[in-house]
Amino acid sequence: MTTATNRRVTAPTQPPGPEKQKKKRLTFTGGLMAPGVAVLALLSILPFIALVVMSFSTVQLLGGVRLSWAGLDNWSRALADPDMWSSWLKTIIFLGATLGLEMVLGIGLALLLHRVTRGRGLLLSLILLPMFVAPVIVGLLGRYLTDSTFGLYAWLLNQMGWEGDILGGTTSAFVAVVLMDVWEWTPLVALITLAGLSSVNPSTMEAASLDGAGYWRSLQHIVFPSISGILLVALLIRAMDAVRYYDIIFVTTNGGPADATKIIPIRLFENAFRFFDLGYAATIGLMMLVLTILIAQGFVRVLARKD
Amino acid sequence: MLNRRELLRTGLLGAGALAAPGLLAACSNETTARMPALKAGEDPWRRFAGTTINFISENTAPTAAIAANLKPFTELTGINVRIVNLELSALVQRVALDMASGDSQYQVVYADPYQVLAPYSAGLADLREFIGAEDFPPLEGGLEDFIPTQMDAAGRFAEEGPVFALPYDCPTMIWQYRIDLFDKYGDAMADELGFDPTPGSDRTWDEYLQIARWFNDNADEVSYGTGHQAKQHDSLMCDFSNILWSYGGDYFAAGEQIGLLGLRDPGKCTLNSAEGVEAAEFYSSLMAAAHPASRTWDWDGVGAALRASEIAMCPNWHEFAASNEQALPGKVGYAPLPKGPARSAHMYGGTGIAISDNAQGAQRGAAWLFVNWATSPETQLSNLRSSAGGGTPTRTSVYELPQVRAAEQRPSDLPNMLTAEAVRTAWEPDNVGLRPKIPMWNACDTAIFTELSKMIAGQSPQETMDNATERFDQIVERGWVA
Amino acid sequence: MSTTTADARPTRKSTGTNVLVGVLVVIALLWTLVPLVWMLAGSFKNSSDVTASSPVWFFEPTLDNYTSLFSGPNNLTPYLWHSLVAAGCAAIFSLVLGTLAGYGLANSTMRNKHHLSFWIISTRMAPIAAVILPLFLMFRLAGLIDTLPGLILAYMTFNLPFAIWLMSAFFSDIPPSIEESALVAGCSRWQAFWHVVLPLSKAGLVTTGVLCLVFAWNDYAFATVFAGPSSQTLPIAASQLVTQTGIDWGQLTAIGTIVVLPMILAGLAVRRWLVTGLTLGAVTGE
Repeated sequence: MTTATNRRVTAPTQPPGPEKQKKKRLTFTGGLMAPGVAVLALLSILPFIALVVMSFSTVQLLGGVRLSWAGLDNWSRALADPDMWSSWLKTIIFLGATLGLEMVLGIGLALLLHRVTRGRGLLLSLILLPMFVAPVIVGLLGRYLTDSTFGLYAWLLNQMGWEGDILGGTTSAFVAVVLMDVWEWTPLVALITLAGLSSVNPSTMEAASLDGAGYWRSLQHIVFPSISGILLVALLIRAMDAVRYYDIIFVTTNGGPADATKIIPIRLFENAFRFFDLGYAATIGLMMLVLTILIAQGFVRVLARKD
Repeated sequence: MLNRRELLRTGLLGAGALAAPGLLAACSNETTARMPALKAGEDPWRRFAGTTINFISENTAPTAAIAANLKPFTELTGINVRIVNLELSALVQRVALDMASGDSQYQVVYADPYQVLAPYSAGLADLREFIGAEDFPPLEGGLEDFIPTQMDAAGRFAEEGPVFALPYDCPTMIWQYRIDLFDKYGDAMADELGFDPTPGSDRTWDEYLQIARWFNDNADEVSYGTGHQAKQHDSLMCDFSNILWSYGGDYFAAGEQIGLLGLRDPGKCTLNSAEGVEAAEFYSSLMAAAHPASRTWDWDGVGAALRASEIAMCPNWHEFAASNEQALPGKVGYAPLPKGPARSAHMYGGTGIAISDNAQGAQRGAAWLFVNWATSPETQLSNLRSSAGGGTPTRTSVYELPQVRAAEQRPSDLPNMLTAEAVRTAWEPDNVGLRPKIPMWNACDTAIFTELSKMIAGQSPQETMDNATERFDQIVERGWVA
Repeated sequence: MSTTTADARPTRKSTGTNVLVGVLVVIALLWTLVPLVWMLAGSFKNSSDVTASSPVWFFEPTLDNYTSLFSGPNNLTPYLWHSLVAAGCAAIFSLVLGTLAGYGLANSTMRNKHHLSFWIISTRMAPIAAVILPLFLMFRLAGLIDTLPGLILAYMTFNLPFAIWLMSAFFSDIPPSIEESALVAGCSRWQAFWHVVLPLSKAGLVTTGVLCLVFAWNDYAFATVFAGPSSQTLPIAASQLVTQTGIDWGQLTAIGTIVVLPMILAGLAVRRWLVTGLTLGAVTGE
């Protein structure tokens, strides 16, 4: 799939000469983009500037917002705080685990569905259900299923001999919230991948197996290269959201036990609206933004190379 | 280039937009809406008829009861009240934003003493402007009718004069236990352990632990003897505090003053004193003997566990009595918590309702009518009776009503009153447990319950208390900027 | 894997593979559906069954949870209505603006277009809790707090960039030859867009619209801040059940079902479009 990098529609009836696009300031495409971009600019640029300004200030709320200059205080605190670094580490691990599992399972699921011929529509419909559930509900449902007193999954694990409390142990709680996220979003990856698989030309596959290529070999050399663009799109879509959403952890463990699941977005919310340390929170927010932009730029670069 | 120009232009706009809120806030404070005057012969309750006000609250027992039956208020005053329930952290967020905007979208505010009152007392109205004013209906029973510790803890901050909130609910931690199991095994326990195991403040925490271990080994009806709200959550701090105070430890040196009225600057943290560390060590051994799922429970979880016969006893908020009675009728008993070397302490979790100082005119007056009515003796009595909620009153006069006193014994039609004797003891000044009411409490709270959670996961008690003390000092040193 | 058969179609499987596929499909279905079915079941259980310590498989179903949600002072109907209007309008507006802007972006000949494109998608990465304060102040200035239009605008902060980006990707995949032939035939650029390109992108439109709808419907973070007594949405109702004295799991599972159901129905109704929409280029096939 191409990003909007090399698309051009030329009106063929123009004589060669000065570029047709040198009309007034607003070209046809510019005019189409203007309303959307204007709204977006309004909603994003001002808050961004506010964020930057807040990160260099102390923010007071009572009686109207007031900012007092605090220089680099917030930034030096954020960079020196060992708690923050450990949260970053957990965030990276969380991102890697959720994105990794979602990609692997999603691709696997898509491959599986691709091989099913009868009832694929119904199967697909059922598999897609989790992605329509609100993250808040996923968190609460997850709590309902893993509660040690009445949770279904807790009971199942007990039957199989595992004595423990899912949300009580540090590792098991981390695994649990990762799995809840994976449950919700794997279908999205599977959907996108399946769409890509559907567009792989069957004749190429036929030719490959005529040549004696086995299933896995043709996967590796034919299928994956042709859908790699799509896979990257799926990864990008998920990555964008994975860093921002904290609903599930917020509602299940709220960062615990012993800070095991305290990823950066939770710290951000905490600093902003429990401790009312908005300048510090703005700093954390900007660092999060930098991280996501770096990740996205990485993707876009790889995508561009694909074209 | 297109982008940069656009960016510059909107940048200037943005800077302007940032300044504007401040200007606007200043503006709106100058133009105060007038409050309609009381006409001669008019019923003071109907002075603001036709006004609509908003009440933001946590989904707590009295709010549930009032929300289920707002008609009496609407009929009395002609005021329309819209109640918005949010869970506590969302509520704190909304209230802070509301105050920041210089506006008051919510005129009546559920003012949690530690998360709203302490940080934002400057944004709440001093209720003395209404109490005793001639053009407002009187506060029945006056301020003295409220239980004194509650009035100070939930209603005031840092100073004895201003009243920011009226006590609205009063959950307090007490000892909850299975009467039937204690009846059945009481004698055996007395023989083997060497003391009378009857729950109450005659027991020590050490004896509590021994009883818990005995249940672990000998009773089949429950999985474990004791359970606790030891999730990495505010609940863990609440559970630990009972023990901390009973051992004579405290969060800050000026413990009593800080807990009752509160302080803006609390001084140095005293968590890692000898008593504090001793308390932490005991809590560690208590957790080792407790139901392991305690690490996943907040107060809701441990309550459910007691009702599901997972545990024989627990320290928990007394307002769970009604649901206990529904699940295990006649089987749950209530008593004051055990004592430690210093005293027997009971964590108080009550809250008051307040009026946002940004409220103007008719809405301000209407807000006071609601606050007055919602904490009045009749409303508190009907809350007790309500099937939608419950909770217990905050006024002494209500506790002394004959039907309320009668409900303290079984069979009781007001099941929450079964705890009355225990909580009455709990609210005495020597026994009540008040956590620090300081503006930066949220950060300190998070620090202590995070460290405690690590302790339960294996960290040493000494290191836990040392770390907590260090964090507390850092937080307090940063000071508070409202 | 059998490779010795003369038939080279990759879809001919041995029974061994068939069984494996079947088993995996069953596992995938169980993993996906058990939580949802359990939630549905819980919503019909009474309060002691729903929190019983061993799972109750057979129980006396009751409609109490649902009736209590729709009666009494905290009636769900206004929440439902607000969610429908806010999410629906946000999806529609985002789709309209996003389609126009997406087409413009896909066909634009600006230099540094990729900067603009990247900026657009980066606005969706904004950390929510951090931008809420400045956004809140802006909205209050404009009198938009606790209004449905305000909520719609708030939802557009994350839906609009998504719509622009996704639609521009769809449009990028339509070969220029199609538009060029329309222009040759005498259409203006707008007519080429409206009459030729748009019908071809139906699948993309549906996909984007549904995804925008789902994201807005499921939002909790923005709703807690920008909604008020007159505009509360369903996810807020769900969180309200986490009370001081306990969580009513029966009502919670019921609300969960109610929140989930419309989105599932919407998604299923358009699932065919979803798959073809994301095929991104059924026209090519090369």
